[in-house]
Amino acid sequence: MKDNLEGRKLVDQMDVKFKARDVQVFYGESQAIKDVNVDILDKTVTAFIGPSGCGKTTFLRCLNRMNDTIPICRVEGDIRLDDEDIYAPEVDPVQLRARVGMVFQKPNPFPKSIYDNIAYGPRIHGLARNKSDLDDIVEDSLRRGALWDEVKDRLGEPGTGLSGGQQQRLCIARAVATAPEVLLMDEPCSALDPIATAQVEELIDELKQNFSVVIVTHSMQQAARVSQKTAFFHLGNLVEYGDTDHIFTNPVDPRTESYITGRIG
Amino acid sequence: MSDMTDQKHIASAFDRDLESIQAQLMKMGGLVEESIRKSAKALKSRDIELAETVRKGDKKIDDLEERVTMDCVRLIALRQPAASDLRTALTVMKTATNLERIGDYAKNIAKRTEVLSHLPAIEGAAGAIKRMAKEVDHMLADALDAFIKRDAALADEVRHRDLEVDQMYNALFREFLTFMMEDPRNISACMHLHFIAKNIERAGDHVTSIADQVVYLATGELPEEARPKGNGVPYEVSTFKESEE
Repeated sequence: MKDNLEGRKLVDQMDVKFKARDVQVFYGESQAIKDVNVDILDKTVTAFIGPSGCGKTTFLRCLNRMNDTIPICRVEGDIRLDDEDIYAPEVDPVQLRARVGMVFQKPNPFPKSIYDNIAYGPRIHGLARNKSDLDDIVEDSLRRGALWDEVKDRLGEPGTGLSGGQQQRLCIARAVATAPEVLLMDEPCSALDPIATAQVEELIDELKQNFSVVIVTHSMQQAARVSQKTAFFHLGNLVEYGDTDHIFTNPVDPRTESYITGRIG
Repeated sequence: MSDMTDQKHIASAFDRDLESIQAQLMKMGGLVEESIRKSAKALKSRDIELAETVRKGDKKIDDLEERVTMDCVRLIALRQPAASDLRTALTVMKTATNLERIGDYAKNIAKRTEVLSHLPAIEGAAGAIKRMAKEVDHMLADALDAFIKRDAALADEVRHRDLEVDQMYNALFREFLTFMMEDPRNISACMHLHFIAKNIERAGDHVTSIADQVVYLATGELPEEARPKGNGVPYEVSTFKESEE
């Protein structure tokens, strides 16, 4: 009982970064997300798991309004970042995405040099006053992306010439360069080999010192390895959300149990 | 074999592996129950041959424990079980260890039975020990039944029944002490009988530990309340002596 109280106090002390209430998402007539309520904590890795088509990526894309780019997509409900409604009319989606960065399934470096891949965001958001500032941001971001030592002698070479794992870390470094508060990752390791995956996971663990990280993954082992909180989505519903260790040892909902033990697809 | 979800895995080989470790554990449980029964019977009827079969049979229990543990390790490494599957693998491993220890106690009883057969009988002792062994045997059967049914209530009931075994042990402890004080020629036999009673009392503790594990298996939480214990007497020997003097 005492432990419970202390645990609750600890959670209270952790800041809620995203607060989502009664979120519904429609693609035309069909509903992809139903009544999702979730608090995503700061400086925590949150994993979204669930079978294909369960809505986890759709919900992730609500968090930085990436769904705005899909004309038939409609988002209802309330999503707040630091208690500010991100769907309010005065919010500029481009500014929002600078605060909420994103890394995609396939590495997608710009067809530019390694340096310019990183420098692009800080330049358009005016984060650097001069060249030396920008150099610092590029180096710092590449270090955070665990890529600096491998590319420091060839910053002028095209980013597309790197290996798959390096490209993905370049994309993470690029996302980090604009100093976001939240990093959304959509299957960041699905195109990577186990070594590159381990490097990205190590990186995610470091990133959580400074950011809130939300990762969509099909690999339940990956969710178990990197996250502190896990949300299980099924058929557009958020079925269960809780501490990762609890979800993987003793889930409450039988649907979660069935999914993580490999009984339903 | 029943499971919490009663649903099949998509990978049917996973189901076969899980069923196999549980079937092996139940086989082990059957052998251990038989060992307890036989050792108590051999003690009561001073049957050296029966005691001998218990001693020899322990090897089979040890081998099964090794196999079931290796199979669990393999299952964890290859299938990365989660939730109830993970709890099944872990509980099978721990229960196998408990069963193996109970098997060792039965073997030890059989060894002492062989020695005791050359000593004068202590009146009533073998019968009382046999009743105690019977209780532990029933507890074990129920604990394994609770395992298969994932029945936390039955497991909890087993946990509480250990108190009776402890009380039976305490009663025997006093009795043996009295016999030894009455006649020093009883000491040798009473010492062996006391160790036998202690072995059965320890076997009861291992059954209780299995029941604890079954509660974890069924609910995901180990039982919170400490189980009642009734074995304070061995520390009260001096008090006992004083009242005798």
